[in-house]
Amino acid sequence: MAQPANSLYDQVVKVTDVYLGPAAERFIARQVENHLHKPPQRLSQSDLLSLIDWIRVVVSLITDDSDIVEEYVDELRKLAVNKKPQKGQQGS
Amino acid sequence: MTIVLRNARRLARHATLSYVTLAAAYVLLIFILPPSHTTMRLYHMTSLQYKTVLLLVSIPSLIVWLAAFMGYIRLRLYADSVSESEDGRHFSRLASGAAWLAWSLPVTALLILVLNGFANRWPAWHPASIIVGNYAVLLPVLIAFTMIGGAARSLLQSAQVRISLSATRLIMFFFAAAGVLYCYLVFRNLDLSSLGASQNPFFLPVWLLVVTLIVPYIYAWLVGVLAAYEITLFSNNAGGLLYRRALRLLAVGLVAVIAGSIALQYIGGVHPGASYLVLDGRLLAVTIFRLISGAGFLLLARGADKLKRIEEV
Repeated sequence: MAQPANSLYDQVVKVTDVYLGPAAERFIARQVENHLHKPPQRLSQSDLLSLIDWIRVVVSLITDDSDIVEEYVDELRKLAVNKKPQKGQQGS
Repeated sequence: MTIVLRNARRLARHATLSYVTLAAAYVLLIFILPPSHTTMRLYHMTSLQYKTVLLLVSIPSLIVWLAAFMGYIRLRLYADSVSESEDGRHFSRLASGAAWLAWSLPVTALLILVLNGFANRWPAWHPASIIVGNYAVLLPVLIAFTMIGGAARSLLQSAQVRISLSATRLIMFFFAAAGVLYCYLVFRNLDLSSLGASQNPFFLPVWLLVVTLIVPYIYAWLVGVLAAYEITLFSNNAGGLLYRRALRLLAVGLVAVIAGSIALQYIGGVHPGASYLVLDGRLLAVTIFRLISGAGFLLLARGADKLKRIEEV
């Protein structure tokens, strides 16, 4: 499905890329599909906090370094703060 | 996901069964094959004592085989988990190279054990056992290093990283120095008055030894050293903090495997072993480098596990 450049999904992948590199896109797509039960392209602002909670749990399984987990989660939270959900927004 | 999991289980089961079979066959052959009378005379041993000592000095090898199987299986499982990604086929090739190295350890050891057994019973077989053994060690290394080198180069290209000129020069310098030293040390064992003379520890005419063993080994080492450098460079330049950490572990493991493997072949050429057991410094050095190689396989397994975890959760 075509999606607008710099969609929320893209931004989440971009933040994740700093931590998971080439695995970032696959990782986020998997989290959205498995935990939010929707196609990654349809990730919306209203899903973000729930996604961040899942990511915190899942990344803790990858690393014991809690500083990195917190740093990653903080970066994701900035996306939630920067873009407040708009009325009627359903993602891309 | 279920298919991947089923394949993973099947692969792990197959590898475990293969390892147990090969290790059991090796131990069994130690006790079945005729002992070396030369070694028994040298150390005043009975047949049973000889076989027990042979088993004891083989234990590090058996452990290293297990590590090697673990390493290549884990790398294969990771490669399978990213098979649809851009780098998937490069990791798959890397896993195939590691598999060649891992399988070559028990297979060549078994072959050499059997050949030495024949040589112990029929001394006229001694030259044949040495010649076949030398080629049996070379062939899988050539294949493995070529595969690993190709994979490392492709990964580096996909990351759009290039080797710097100074690094290339440094590698060439050290490689030339090590290669010349190797030739010098090997040639000390040879009768160079005639290119056709085969009265040497390799039982080959000098020209044949140079063309079919020395040159291919030096080629394989260059490919191996370059592969080790390229995979290190790739891991250092990879994006993603957590991904890079896991990849570095895999790269360090692979470098140790390649370095240990090259060191063993270097020792084998410079100080050719006899077809019978000799408890000397060479055996100690061989055991140390074998263990380094085994540790490398374990690191490789750990790195591949961490990478696979990223793809699973």
